[in-house]
Amino acid sequence: MLNQVPRMLHAPQGGPMIFSLLVISTLTGISLAQDAGMMSDDSMMAGESMMAEEPSFSRKDLDFFESKIRPLLLGRCVNCHSNDGSRINAGLRVDTRMQLLIGGDSGPAIIPGDPDASLLIQAVRYDDPGLEMPPRGRLTRDEIKLLEDWVSMGAPMPAPREKVENPGTEHRWTTQEIEQGRNHWAYVPVVPPKPPAISDPSWPRENLDRYVLADLDAQGLTPVGDAEPNHWLRRVTFDLTGLPPTPAELAKFDSDDSPRARQIVVDGLLATNAFGERWGRHWLDVARYAESSGKENNVAYPHAWRYRDWVINSFNEDLPYDRFLTSQLAGDLLSAKDDDEEARNLIATGYLALGTKSHNVQGNAQFQFDLIDEQIDTITQGMLATTVACARCHDHKFDPIPQRDYYALAGIFASTETRFGTFEGPGNRNAGQLIEIPAGANLPDGSIFPSAARSLIIAARDRAENQLAAAEEIRAEMRSAGIRNPRTARDLLTPAQQQILQRARNAEGSRNIADSILNRFDSTGRPTIDNFVCMGAVEGKIRNVPFLERGELENPGNAIPRGFVQVLNSDWTTDVPQSESGRLELADWIANEKNPLTSRVWANRIWAHLFGKGIVTSCDNFGLSGQSPSNPALLDHLAARLVELDWSSKSLIREIVLSRSYALASDWDRRRAAVDPDETSIWRMPKRRLEAESIRDAMLVAGGLLEIEPPTGSAASGLEGAVRENVLDRFLGLTAAEYADHRSVYLPVVRGGVPEALAVFDFPEPNFVRGTRDKTNVATQALYLMNSAEITRMADAMANRVLAREEDPKSQVELAFRIAFGRTPSAGEFIACRDFLREFRSAWTSDQQERMASLTPTQRRQQARRENASRRNRNDASATALSDADLMAFSALCQTLFQSAEFRTLD
Amino acid sequence: MDLCNNRIEPSNGRREMLKSLSYGFGWLAFSGLEGARSFASSMLDDPLAPKRPHHTAKAKRVIFLYMSGAPSHVDTFDYKPELAKRDGQAYRGNAKLLASPWKFNRHGESGLPISELFPGVAKHADDLCLLHGMKAGIPAHAQAQMQLHTGSFQFVRPSMGSWALYGLGTSNQNLPGYITVNPGGAANQYGSGFLPATYQGTPVRLSGGGGRGGGGQQSRRGRNNQSQDPIDHLESERNGTAVQKEQLALLRRLERERSRRGNGDPAVETVLEQYELAFRMQTEVPDVVNLGTEDRKTLEMYGIGEEGTDGFGRQCLLARRFAEEGVRFIEVSAGGWDTHRNMRTELANRCGAVDKPIAGLLADLKRRNMLDDTLVVWGGEFGRTPYAQGSDGRDHNAGGFTMWMAGGGVKGGYEYGSTDETGHKAVEGVMDIHDWHATLLHSLGLNHERLTFNHAGRDYRLTDVHGHVHSDIFA
Repeated sequence: MLNQVPRMLHAPQGGPMIFSLLVISTLTGISLAQDAGMMSDDSMMAGESMMAEEPSFSRKDLDFFESKIRPLLLGRCVNCHSNDGSRINAGLRVDTRMQLLIGGDSGPAIIPGDPDASLLIQAVRYDDPGLEMPPRGRLTRDEIKLLEDWVSMGAPMPAPREKVENPGTEHRWTTQEIEQGRNHWAYVPVVPPKPPAISDPSWPRENLDRYVLADLDAQGLTPVGDAEPNHWLRRVTFDLTGLPPTPAELAKFDSDDSPRARQIVVDGLLATNAFGERWGRHWLDVARYAESSGKENNVAYPHAWRYRDWVINSFNEDLPYDRFLTSQLAGDLLSAKDDDEEARNLIATGYLALGTKSHNVQGNAQFQFDLIDEQIDTITQGMLATTVACARCHDHKFDPIPQRDYYALAGIFASTETRFGTFEGPGNRNAGQLIEIPAGANLPDGSIFPSAARSLIIAARDRAENQLAAAEEIRAEMRSAGIRNPRTARDLLTPAQQQILQRARNAEGSRNIADSILNRFDSTGRPTIDNFVCMGAVEGKIRNVPFLERGELENPGNAIPRGFVQVLNSDWTTDVPQSESGRLELADWIANEKNPLTSRVWANRIWAHLFGKGIVTSCDNFGLSGQSPSNPALLDHLAARLVELDWSSKSLIREIVLSRSYALASDWDRRRAAVDPDETSIWRMPKRRLEAESIRDAMLVAGGLLEIEPPTGSAASGLEGAVRENVLDRFLGLTAAEYADHRSVYLPVVRGGVPEALAVFDFPEPNFVRGTRDKTNVATQALYLMNSAEITRMADAMANRVLAREEDPKSQVELAFRIAFGRTPSAGEFIACRDFLREFRSAWTSDQQERMASLTPTQRRQQARRENASRRNRNDASATALSDADLMAFSALCQTLFQSAEFRTLD
Repeated sequence: MDLCNNRIEPSNGRREMLKSLSYGFGWLAFSGLEGARSFASSMLDDPLAPKRPHHTAKAKRVIFLYMSGAPSHVDTFDYKPELAKRDGQAYRGNAKLLASPWKFNRHGESGLPISELFPGVAKHADDLCLLHGMKAGIPAHAQAQMQLHTGSFQFVRPSMGSWALYGLGTSNQNLPGYITVNPGGAANQYGSGFLPATYQGTPVRLSGGGGRGGGGQQSRRGRNNQSQDPIDHLESERNGTAVQKEQLALLRRLERERSRRGNGDPAVETVLEQYELAFRMQTEVPDVVNLGTEDRKTLEMYGIGEEGTDGFGRQCLLARRFAEEGVRFIEVSAGGWDTHRNMRTELANRCGAVDKPIAGLLADLKRRNMLDDTLVVWGGEFGRTPYAQGSDGRDHNAGGFTMWMAGGGVKGGYEYGSTDETGHKAVEGVMDIHDWHATLLHSLGLNHERLTFNHAGRDYRLTDVHGHVHSDIFA
């Protein structure tokens, strides 16, 4: 070890740091200063010096600040006047009362008790032409009045939290802090906001439009104008169903001038099965749906697809959202009128069972706590946009959620038996049961097992049986020699015998897995009654769990009574009964109109799917480290509407897509963008890239290949045990053809093995709650669309379809455009396509010559064989037709349309 | 995994032909029908052409070895004798200081103290410039990772690699100018934000990489593409170059019509450049990613073929090959550094997986005379606490940590800045992320205050309104 280290020291040159969190926190009265590394020394000192002079205010006055003034400051001032990342203009910060008293370059911003003398008030009144704040969009008269009243009252504002006692690691939220924490915008009750005054009463079509327009008015912005009808139709069709409008639908909408035309379209789309397939997939992102455990050993969950189907059906049946959540948390505890309903309730609890798990972890208690942690994380992020799992090892660093709350919730799931299936064996020390589906349920038995795989499974079972038998023989010999424990007698065994015993250890697991598959499917591959099972949860042994110091099993403290998250508790919170897990109460606590988060979070998710980003952009995090709503009134209006509409997701979606805001054109505008470069206000509909599923589905549709009927089960439902990459590829090779042309939502989602067509376009990693997807545009996607055989297959199909229907080149190109883009080509576009078709043949010929010239004779023979094989793989019609140069040319044209930005973008 | 049995080797003849035909971006831009140029290239003159830096600088390119999950500085590069003495003592309330379980030794002529977890890297001590005064904004991974890469954790902003490429262009038009190998986290970390899409990072997946967090998402590849090639679909079984060229020409005309309708919407003018890049990549990428041309000694240097180091070794070797071919900004990720628990095992494993590959990279760059003009940067999104979490772990610490740089004109065998005596807070030579960005750009010859892009009426910078260059670290 070194005792002395030579050092070359230099003067610090640190610039100002960004402490947005701090801003948010001081404004909410919860200083985060004591969290390690959170705060610069400057701000720490500012906080401390302020403490000395801070007058105390009445609860009522502080409530006034919290409810009226803080939202104003946050919404209209913080962007340019705080430690926040954007800027500190004129040296003024509004983060704390002290900063307002000190003021900026022009002196104190407020003189408590004297509004007229306060610069802040003068500025918002626009009294002085040189001092008009906020610069873009004057406050309303009411808002100005509020600020005046507030200054008259003496400018009450909560102090940042008391001096840091414990800047180390273990801050504990006090009851008072939790109480104060309830003032965070996301935790205050949802109250339907008053419809605001707006500049143009003729603009709104739905009530929500008023809130959008009021926000634009405040920013001094105007909407860009309405979208062209065919843009709107393409937009709404993709948004509601994930599929493009058909040429017939386009023509029908085009010819229908009636005022109800849009309602008819929307109601029609909402009634399709495709609606659930689209919106169900949105929820599956949040539910981290997958068909294997992920982590090191990736154990298959062959029954997960039943949950997937339940989610899709629930959206199609418009199961009220509160009931939708309750079923997933506690479906097994709900009463059901018949086997069918009971089955659905049970399958819904699969939500709790299909998360990632380290099946091979040593020690059941560790496994249990990790499982519970995953459940808490998924539920609180997915349903409440709150990261409670952060409080497993210590109090939450940002949100007033003590570690104790975590263990109160943990007790609920410790009292639950999660039924995820799987067998003990190699790579799996933690197996589980499944749930039998009631016999009278009207549900499919499952997929067909590929016959080619059956013999492999039988061989595997026989091998395992033989190994077990051989081992038993040795043991019997040893028993007859009087040796009870073979381990004590290793020396007596030959290496070969030791190896046999070693192998047998895994053989039992292998045999169980093989047996399970052979029991689930009969000799023809059809599913048996043994396949009539699902993943899920049932009541377990009721218990409270101990508080685990630092999250460690070795450090158990007192048992924590089961309960919920205190900062969200209120008069409507019910206690957990002694004799039950508390899941039903938890469900009631979450799926409750009084829970301030549930309706906001879901309304925000719906909005994000329809407008490209949420009103709160951090869809999975409404806590203090998340983002604030860009339009709080709009969010609360939607949340309140959701409850008024009896939690009908379809109804809320319907209102939104029939709104004027949703019908905005997507035209960019330099002037508006200069005012609002991040487009936090809705002055246009942003151009949005389609999700992976829609890109693939739209290509299948274009080719006329899409099988609209859902498949039964999943291509992965014949798997069992650890899924290695080679196993997955080989197995899916046997089943893929059968599932290939169904909608993408039905493709198997094995963790670590997401189908390429989806992965390449930012399908979310199914290990975590993912309320928002990445939307990249990278060269590897271009390569996929240029060179993948799958793309050529779909382009061939589209070409076949177009050429079979239309004779003359103009009509052919027009039909191709209608199929791909939902519109007819412009003159320039048509000429470009015509030129392409004309040039194609010589390009093709030159390519063939180059290719053949570069091949050796052997390669040439291989090439011919490959071409024959790929021709065989295509259907007969296209195989013969493909020799036709016209078809090749048109296929290349279709592929180029697939590649275009327009194909994957919603205007 | 099948290595190469089923793979149809792309024919050399075709690749040679592509090479002889293509002359990079200029060729594509001018070879279209009617000599049309792509929309983006008409907007900005040849956006990827090499550009003159603001000032003369040593570094021509960056290799960022990103340790996702925040490695512990007090167990690796920030030697804290005081922490060793105060092991187990109470710290600011009920926390307990935890001495590093690993020994630090003095290395090289400079005598830099480096822990025994990095024996290989330690051999290059005289090339390292340890930045002990690093400071990040928020001790939460997602936000800190975003800030580290883009300067902002609130808004979608261009990543530092995009800024570098925007500022300097790239000398090889047949490869992406900004490549990120096995990225973890959100795609915005290598996104181009409001900069033209041509500047965004191209993700490259290499299997067997740094494990979760660094490994990114693995996809099941098409059955015809079961190779270890990090980029799939480099060749079509159907269309040859001439047809693809026609397709590109058509695409260009369609996109031009669309741009015309879009009034200059920044969201519109994007896909074409990706196709042009993809088209050009077909010629060169198969050669660059083929590690088979390296001799055995080189492979061994990077730990390729050895259990534990093989994955990251391949990534590092690939980084060198990309650097050699003129890629401007290369990021290589290794995950798994979030050692709240089981630190003694986990941290040792993580270091073991990256030490030899990094040492190999430094040695390899050096012997090729590339270290002088390549800035190698190592670090995570923040550091870890000097006090324990549990008995065998450390919590997040954004208040002070260490990153290091090597090559590219920085002083070797040098320690800059420091944390307090236990390693908790940066106290001297404090470098926040904006400073770090400013300094990094400076090493490339870019002035962070002059490297701006006008977006919607405002000039934006990587460093927003912040950032100071710490010029003391340059030789």
